[in-house]
Parts: sequence; structure tokens; C-alpha cells
Amino acid sequence: MSNRVSGKRRKKRNWAPYLLILPSLIYLALFFAWPMVQSLILAVREGGALLTLRAEAQRDSAVAGRIPRGTQISILDQQGNLIAAEELEQANLITEVWYQIRGQEPGGQEIEGWAPAERIRVREQGEDGTPIAGSVRPRLVGGADPFTQVHAEADEDSEVVGELEARAPVEILDQTTLEVWYLVGAEIEEQAVEGWVQSRYVQVFGDGSQGRVNQGDTSQYTTRYIQQMLNNRFFTPALRTTLLLIVIIIPVQFVLAIIMALVIQANPKGSSLFLYIYTIALGVSDLAVGIVWYSVFTQFGYLNSILQRLGLIDSPITYLSATRQHWIIIAIWLAEVWRATAIVMVIVVAGMQSISREVLEAAEVFGATLWQRIRYIILPLLRPSLQVALILRTILAFQVFAVVVVLSGGDVVTVLANETYRQYYDLRNVNVAASYASFILLLSILTAIFYLRAVRTQEEVAGS
Amino acid sequence: MSVLESQKATVQVSPEVRAIHRRMLRRQRLSRALTYLIAIVLSLWVLIPILFIASMALTTPAVVRSYPKGVLPFIPFSTETLRFFLNSRGIVPGIMNSIIVAVITLVLATVISAPAGYAISRYIFRGRDVFRLSILAVRAFPIVVLSIPLAVVFLRLNIYDNVFSLAMMHAALALPTTILVLSSVFASIPYELEEAAQVFGCSPAQAFRYIVLPLVLPGIAAAAIFTFVLSWNEVFAASILAPLHNRTLPVQVLITLDESSEPYQFAGGFFMLIPSLIFIFFIRRYLFNMWGQITK
Repeated sequence: MSNRVSGKRRKKRNWAPYLLILPSLIYLALFFAWPMVQSLILAVREGGALLTLRAEAQRDSAVAGRIPRGTQISILDQQGNLIAAEELEQANLITEVWYQIRGQEPGGQEIEGWAPAERIRVREQGEDGTPIAGSVRPRLVGGADPFTQVHAEADEDSEVVGELEARAPVEILDQTTLEVWYLVGAEIEEQAVEGWVQSRYVQVFGDGSQGRVNQGDTSQYTTRYIQQMLNNRFFTPALRTTLLLIVIIIPVQFVLAIIMALVIQANPKGSSLFLYIYTIALGVSDLAVGIVWYSVFTQFGYLNSILQRLGLIDSPITYLSATRQHWIIIAIWLAEVWRATAIVMVIVVAGMQSISREVLEAAEVFGATLWQRIRYIILPLLRPSLQVALILRTILAFQVFAVVVVLSGGDVVTVLANETYRQYYDLRNVNVAASYASFILLLSILTAIFYLRAVRTQEEVAGS
Repeated sequence: MSVLESQKATVQVSPEVRAIHRRMLRRQRLSRALTYLIAIVLSLWVLIPILFIASMALTTPAVVRSYPKGVLPFIPFSTETLRFFLNSRGIVPGIMNSIIVAVITLVLATVISAPAGYAISRYIFRGRDVFRLSILAVRAFPIVVLSIPLAVVFLRLNIYDNVFSLAMMHAALALPTTILVLSSVFASIPYELEEAAQVFGCSPAQAFRYIVLPLVLPGIAAAAIFTFVLSWNEVFAASILAPLHNRTLPVQVLITLDESSEPYQFAGGFFMLIPSLIFIFFIRRYLFNMWGQITK
């Protein structure tokens, strides 16, 4: 077929194949490459780690400094700034409302301007709740200026257009919401910094002169999440169990799979039935497999039932408990061997089909025993298949999840994938979960490189 | 045997030779018996756990709780446990969600991967091997753990906890496998057939529609079934991407595992197992196609 196809190519440069693979390329880029990068970024980049201080209470004003999240600050001044309508959704906003009012000065002159809503008592509201009219609140603090200033704009620094007496009736024409900006001071590495920040990033407490940076607006690289992962008390056990499972599961799987493949190859009557039976586990979910083996190992399960009926034990043993971790490991081991041998078997059988029957018959004629045939003919010829199976199985073994959750409850014996899930689902710590995910990715890449290298060097040695 | 007898007539066979022959025959029969023995033992290893869970699911909850359990299955037979499971809270919606997600996944994965599979099997183009290798690499990599960053993105895009976004993730999981299966399916249809159709006046599209498509439909169906089973079984990504209002069946079972009773768990395990038992039977031939091709 290949020469015909290459004949097709000689005619002209053909764009059809590129168009045909384009959708899958885009899809894989979107759902594989891009999330992989995102995962790494989540693991090492802390969102909102730093808060930018501005020289003036303007978003585009010069940067006066940056302070990290959690810094204690003192609040020196505050001012309201117009806020866009869509930003009103933001959490932690501290806002001021200003009314545009019209009223009469003590001199009888009509004035129009802006005053903070706290200075006006609303007396009348429209049907939708908007204030229509009100009166100026009296100042209760003794010694203060009894008049309320009316500004040209909704800003305390703007020009004063007039003053209103306490209790003077006013019409309310309009209202606007301002976000409070604070002038904050802090000490960073023994250096005093000062600048304006928006209220949404700051938590104020005490008498309003002290506060704390709640959230930053700039992200920065950090090893915090990775350290959190490494210091987590479940990390080392999870890694240890994952590796232990790989070591005890994979060899058994390969031996079993090769035996199954040899049986199939011997082609007994009904071999297609055997083949179907051996592949059944291929389609079974790991959660279901976990439950299947749970029914065997649970306290009133099959294993105890059988042992008791045989008279070997007097009362049921609780296998899956914190004090019998080795039993949990054994249960996981059996479940994983049961579940994932099928995929290895399929790969091995496919590889065996390409070994020519003549070679094996010749070996048999010359008196090779079964073991010799396996050792010197079948295994060497199967090497590419075994390599693929080995890479695939090892990498998939880094992801064992549901089987472990079912058989150990997810606490007593834990694995890396389960920790990823726990960090995300139970602890709501996306960044640490991403660290775990990235760690699993890294292990997988290293494994693949290791196997490819190992096999290649063997071939080079054999070739030289 | 007849050859041996005719030889006996002409050549005087010494008793030693006959003894050797008898020994060889015996050994052959022995090795045959041994093969069967191993084959049956291995089959039991696969089947007995399934029998266990099936007999737990298909009996009364009282029997499930009894101890020691009978090792003989289905005594007494009853659908009570299974009904109890199906009537539990969240199970029917979970099954519906699982089916919806699996069907969307199946359609998405097939539509995207069929052209790619066709391209790999029919054209030689620059980058073909790189494409195939990278698909293999993706197949081998733990894409499941990519669900964490995807969850963050889905939250931002407001499509978190949604059957469609989960199906998109599952389609990405299935894509490498389906592409490889479909390319081997297309490769098994000789190009001559298409060529002949074109000689007789079909356009390339017509040749594909009337000649290739009917021949590959079973293969495409197999790949689709495989995708369905994959999505039906998948629990990690599903529990991260849709853990609240759109739980699939495995997620519902996993999340309620701690507080649920054994009859519920066993029936759930058995129920999740059924589709794979049926589907694997139909697609087993194509599984070998696929892996045979990969290791080449």
C-alpha cells in the first residue's frame, strides 16, 4: 500500500491529510498541552501574592511600592473614587455613596452639588427604592461646623459650591457609588513604604487606623505550594505506597499476561472463549474493581466466610483496618493485578501474533524445551511489545485511585492520585493539588525516558 | 494413526520405537491437559470475583449482611438489593448523567478522530510519524491529572460542574485511543476498492461514502463503544470536574461510599460492571488490531 500512497504524494503537495488531522491537533493542544502548562503554572505561581501601592489614588498612577499579602498596615488617609458598575460585584468592597442634591442655602440661594450619603437622611423614595428627597442630617458632634458642605463633584477634594444648614430639605437628583481608597503605610524589610490602595484588597480593623493586606493584585513565583506538598504528612506515605505497588504489581502482571498469551497461542479448543474471559477486566472501572475486592476482604466478606466454613478461623478477621495495613496492600495488589493484567495480555498477544510459527516449530523440532523457547525466542521477539506495555502500565500505575479509596478509605493507605483528589476536593487547595498533578506528570515523563533509554542501550549493546 | 499403521505393515517397528512414540503421545496429551488446566484456572481467577459481586447484587440485602456467606451464587435469587440501590438518592440522575456524558464523549471523540485516523492510514505526509508518536505519548500520559487545571479554567469560564465540559475532558482522554483504533480500521480496507470506485466514476467523497464507510462502520462502532465504556468508567476527572449537581454514577457511588451500606456498595459495583461485560464482548477483536499496530 505504501508505494501507491507515495505515488499519490508525487502528484502534488497534498493538504488533505493536514486538514484531516487538524481538529484532533487543536483538541489535543487544548485539552492536553495547555492544561499541562497550566498545571505547572498553578503549582509554582501564587496569584495575588503582592499588592501594588500607588502614588496617588488612581489606578494608573505611578507604582509606589509592592507589599506581600498578609502585611500589617496602618491606614493614614482615605478617599472615595468612582467605581465602574461591573466592579460592584467584587468581594470586600468598601464603598461610599454620594448624592447629587439641590437645596437652599441659609441665604436663600439655591445650590446644586454633591454630598456624601451619610450626611443626608432620605425622606422619600421612588417606587423602585431610589431616593427622591431628604433632609440634611444635623451634626451631633459638639464643636463641629454645623453646616454641611456641598461639593461640585462626588469628591471631598473638589470645589465647595455652598453650605447647607442642618435639617434643610433637599431634592436628591442622582446618586453614585465610590470605592474607598486608603493611603496605607507599612514597613517592608525595615523600609517604610506608603501609597494608595483600593479597599477591596484590605481588611480594616480596630478603630480604622490599622489593617492587613488580604489579597494582592500581582502574582509571583513561589515554591510555597511545592513545599506544602513535600511537607504534607501524607506525601511520603503516598509516594512510598505508589512505588511499592508498582514494584509488586507489574512483575506479577507480566508473568500472568505472558502465561495467558501462551495459553491462547497454544490454541486449545474454545480459545476464543478464554480470550474473551481474559479481556473482561479491560473494561471494568477501577471503582467497580475496588468494590469487587472489597466484597472479598470486608469483615463479613467472602474470604472470612470461606475460611470460617473450612473451620480455619473462629471469628471474622477485620482485614481492612488501620492496624492491618499489609492486608490493605495485599487487597490493592490483588485488585490491581486482577484489573490491569488484561491490557498487558492484549499487548502481548498482539505481539505474539507477529512471531512466525515456523521459528517456534523449528525450535521445537531441534528439541528446545518450552522454557528454552520462551527464554530464547519468544521473549526477545516480544521485546517491543513488552516495552510498550511496561511504559503504559507503569505510567497508569501512578494514577491508581478508586481501588485504593475503596479498599483503604483513602486515609490509612494513600497514593499520589488520591492526595491530588484530597487536596482539591476536601482541602480546596487547588495549587497544592496542581503540585501533586505536576509531580505525577514529572514521574511519568522520567519513567518513559528511563524505559526508552534502557531498552535502546540494550539494543546498542546487542548490535555492537 | 493411519500413517503409523501403514508404516507398521511395511516396516517392522521395534518395540523401543513404539514405546518412544507412545511416550511422546502421552506427553502431548499431558501438555494439552496442562494447557487446559492453566486456561481454566486463569479463567476462574477472572470470573470468580465477578461471580461473587454478581451474587451479592442479585440477592436480598439480608443475605448480603449474613455471615458466613454461602459460596454458591444467587441463593436465594432476588433483585431486591439491586432495586434498593437503584432507588437510592442520586442514583437514577447519576445514571442519566453518565449516559449523557458518555454519549456526548462518544460523538465528540468519533467526529474528531475519524478524519485523523483516515489521514494516518491513507496518506503519507510530512510529520505523520511525529503525529502518531505524539498521539502515543498522549495516550500514555496521565491526562487524568490535567483535570485540576481544567477545573480552574472551567470555573473561570463558568462551565464548571457541567456534563458538557466533563464530556469534553473525557473526549480528550479517549481521543488517542480512538484515533489509533480507527486508523487501523481504515488501514484494513484496501485502497484498491476506493480506487476502483473512482475508476468507475465515483468522486473521492462518493467512493468514501459508498465503499469505505459501510466497510468501516463496524470498526467505528467498536471504537465508539470503547469510548463509551471509558467515559462510563472514568471517576477521577469526573469527581473533580463535576462533583456537585451533575455527578455521574461512579462519582455518586464514590462520594457516598463512606456513609453507604454494603448492599448499596455491592449492587453499585455490579451495576457499573455490566456495560463493560457486554461491550467488551463486541469489540474484543478490535482491541488486538489496535495494540498489534502500536507495537509495530
